[in-house]
Amino acid sequence: MSARKRTLLKVIILGDSGVGKTSLMNQYVNKKFSNQYKATIGADFLTKEVQVEDRLVTMQIWDTAGQERFQSLGVAFYRGADCCVLVYDVNVMKSFDNLENWREEFLIQASPSDQDNFPFVVLGNKVDVDGGNSRVVSEKKAKAWCSSKGNIPYFETSAKEDFNVDSAFQCIAKNALKNESDEEIYLPDTIDVAGVRPPKSSVCEC
Amino acid sequence: MASSGGKDSSSPIDSNGRVGREHSNPEAISALYEDLFENDNSERPCYLPDSGQEDYSGDGDGVGDGDEDGNSPREIVQKGRGDSVVEEKGELNAANGASPEASATQMNNDSRESGSDVGTLPEDLDARSSTGNEDEIQEKDHEFNFRDRVRAESSSTERLVHLDGEMSSDRGLDGPPSPTSSQGGTSGYMAGSGSSSASTSSVSGVEIGTDQDTEGIGSRKEERGVWVPGKRHSQEDDSHPSWRRHKKHFFILSNAGKPIYSRYGDEHKLAGFSATLQAIMSFVENSGDTIHLVRAGDHQIIFLVRGPLYLVCISSTDEPFQVLKGQLELLHGQLLLILTKAVEKCFLKNSKFDMRPLLGGTDVVFSSLIHAFSWDPATFLSAYSCLPLPYVTRQAACGALQDMTDSGVLFALLMCGTKVISLVGPRKASLHPHDLLLLSNFILSSDSFRTSESFSPVCLPRYNATAFMYAYVQYLNKDTCLILLTGDPNDFFHLKECRAQIEIALRESDVLREVNNSISRGGLRIEDLPDSEDLVPPEGVSSREDRSSGDGASTSAFNSVPGAGGAAGLWHFIYRSTYLDQFVASEFSPPLNTRSAQKRLYRAFQKLHASMHDTEASGPHKMQYRRDENHVLLSWRNSDFELYAAFDPLAEKSSAIFVCNRICQWIRDVECEIFLLGATPFNW
Repeated sequence: MSARKRTLLKVIILGDSGVGKTSLMNQYVNKKFSNQYKATIGADFLTKEVQVEDRLVTMQIWDTAGQERFQSLGVAFYRGADCCVLVYDVNVMKSFDNLENWREEFLIQASPSDQDNFPFVVLGNKVDVDGGNSRVVSEKKAKAWCSSKGNIPYFETSAKEDFNVDSAFQCIAKNALKNESDEEIYLPDTIDVAGVRPPKSSVCEC
Repeated sequence: MASSGGKDSSSPIDSNGRVGREHSNPEAISALYEDLFENDNSERPCYLPDSGQEDYSGDGDGVGDGDEDGNSPREIVQKGRGDSVVEEKGELNAANGASPEASATQMNNDSRESGSDVGTLPEDLDARSSTGNEDEIQEKDHEFNFRDRVRAESSSTERLVHLDGEMSSDRGLDGPPSPTSSQGGTSGYMAGSGSSSASTSSVSGVEIGTDQDTEGIGSRKEERGVWVPGKRHSQEDDSHPSWRRHKKHFFILSNAGKPIYSRYGDEHKLAGFSATLQAIMSFVENSGDTIHLVRAGDHQIIFLVRGPLYLVCISSTDEPFQVLKGQLELLHGQLLLILTKAVEKCFLKNSKFDMRPLLGGTDVVFSSLIHAFSWDPATFLSAYSCLPLPYVTRQAACGALQDMTDSGVLFALLMCGTKVISLVGPRKASLHPHDLLLLSNFILSSDSFRTSESFSPVCLPRYNATAFMYAYVQYLNKDTCLILLTGDPNDFFHLKECRAQIEIALRESDVLREVNNSISRGGLRIEDLPDSEDLVPPEGVSSREDRSSGDGASTSAFNSVPGAGGAAGLWHFIYRSTYLDQFVASEFSPPLNTRSAQKRLYRAFQKLHASMHDTEASGPHKMQYRRDENHVLLSWRNSDFELYAAFDPLAEKSSAIFVCNRICQWIRDVECEIFLLGATPFNW
């Protein structure tokens, strides 16, 4: 066990199917990109170690499937998340409109202790497509939505061109760390010798 | 307690003498089984090259494991079916009479059936723990039998295979797997989604691993022989082939999928892997169910949910499910001993809670417990062992401790390694053997206790899992450790005084010197098994054997053969007293010289114990006799004790049973020296 304290962050990536969640993650972790679309089934997990300021952080990235049929995984997957990344495709309006649903779904399922300040990050992906000509969601519109939801940080990214991916994830890590609750002193009870002892079977089970 | 076994010349021996006949041709039967299993093998997905398992023996588990896998299918079990019959045997020691005859007949009937009717063989073959038995369902809720999957087809679960690939090797399957049919749609769905999660995790591992490979190779090599607690292969992760080849993994994670402990490798680098485990477990949990076991080729994946904590064991050691589950429970107990159940509140308050910082520096505690799983019978017997001492010496030690329990000390415990010298506590309260095991492991594994007077919060999970008590720990000499448990966190100086007084009393009564004597003497040796004049081999046994053993296998003489262990080829035994929750094991003597032979026997005893206590399949049993190419194993269980004995593979059954009676008699003769008796707090 290293002497230096290491932090583990659970990061959930959500968004409609085909917006490029897996590609973003692959680009970030593996520096790889493939044009071929392969639907994620259930979820994929990647880990990446990053340095945030003076801290060593392991990001445990949960790349979830966008298809609705996998939403039943909900609670189990979202539990204990440190940060949630919402991804949409700047060329598909529907994927942007759905961000609201994804956000609400996450808050319901994960039920974080501080709903208002839970760290989200929004990524508008595929800005490279067709030189930006096929774009239907403007940066302004996206930023407006983000600020209406409590100033969610917003990044325009291209997993294909590796544009802004690193800085987006750096921000994700930073925000998750900021939200880290102060650790309380761990202080369990002391046994009450005088009091009633817990009932105990006298014979061991064999 | 039955005590006149010495007079019992008829005993079960002759009754069982004839039973050997049907098995006197073990080759034939085992060949049959081999066929059975070979067929099975062909259907089994091969995840790991066999050689791969053998060539990796960097840790305790690796030793001698390679050749173990082949054993179980060949084991021939003679079960004492018909409990009433065998129970009579248990009482034979006390009352002679006609019962031996009755049991003899019955036993013979049993065995004749099993010997002649091939159709009943699978019942006699104890394949519960081997991976061979298809129809075996160990846990009703969920057992995902991967072999079943191979046969049926379902493309949606194909990725499930990657989970296995990840654990063992990336070899694919021949056919697309499918979920166990018994679970219907639920498990199928579970399989599809849960498994899918795994696949990219391994991909990720590969990528991440590239920068770490060199470190992994550089990880320290450990010496054989002397086992040093601490984490092995700490730089590995799930992308390293060597990591996948470890025979037995243990993981603790939170129900959010955050890693807490891994036996091998770096917890943080295994974050993706532990997320995979969480996904599988949580998914089943979501449907209001619990996953217990996944079989994947030679691997068993055992899951245990304890509140917000998930514990997982991935093992290719062929240990029975119940044994591995018990080990996970002990691992959880060890965690509670360090932190109490209050950790669960932390997760309730904050599901993101990261427990790892709270466990800082405790790697050694867990690794030494896991090591004990492979060497200390206490871990599966649920009993503790005592240092053999003259009765008066132990009484003196108990007296010295007893004086202190009136002054606020909850339990006073004098130990020598893992063995108890004396133990004193309040009436009506008792120290569960598991608490004792976990406490002594905690103290023994941490070097700091050895060098200084310590006062440490500990929780005894079976006594009270929710709260801490405080342990004053001081070594009185190199081996002897005094532990005083109190509920008062400010009691240190008082306990320090107690210790001084105890130490004086112990020195005055020469306890510490006797302890040293005992250490140099060692424990019971099979060579010392007294020849009892009362116990003469029953007349006619040998002639019956001659008749029965057509292949001439029963060549071992009744008396000790040089190099073949003790009387009748006795190699080793473990005796567990039911009332005392204590056990005694003989010292390892030739021919059990090598660690691999010892470990093989340990695993065989583990398996035997599990099948004796198995309440689900065909057990529990009163008596079992097994023969394989490594040993003859005999176990006998009645209301007073359990006895597990190993003999030379050529030992005769009648002689073996005869020797078992002698062992029991011997134990009774020396029980006041090898057990903690009488004036103990164990008022059951």
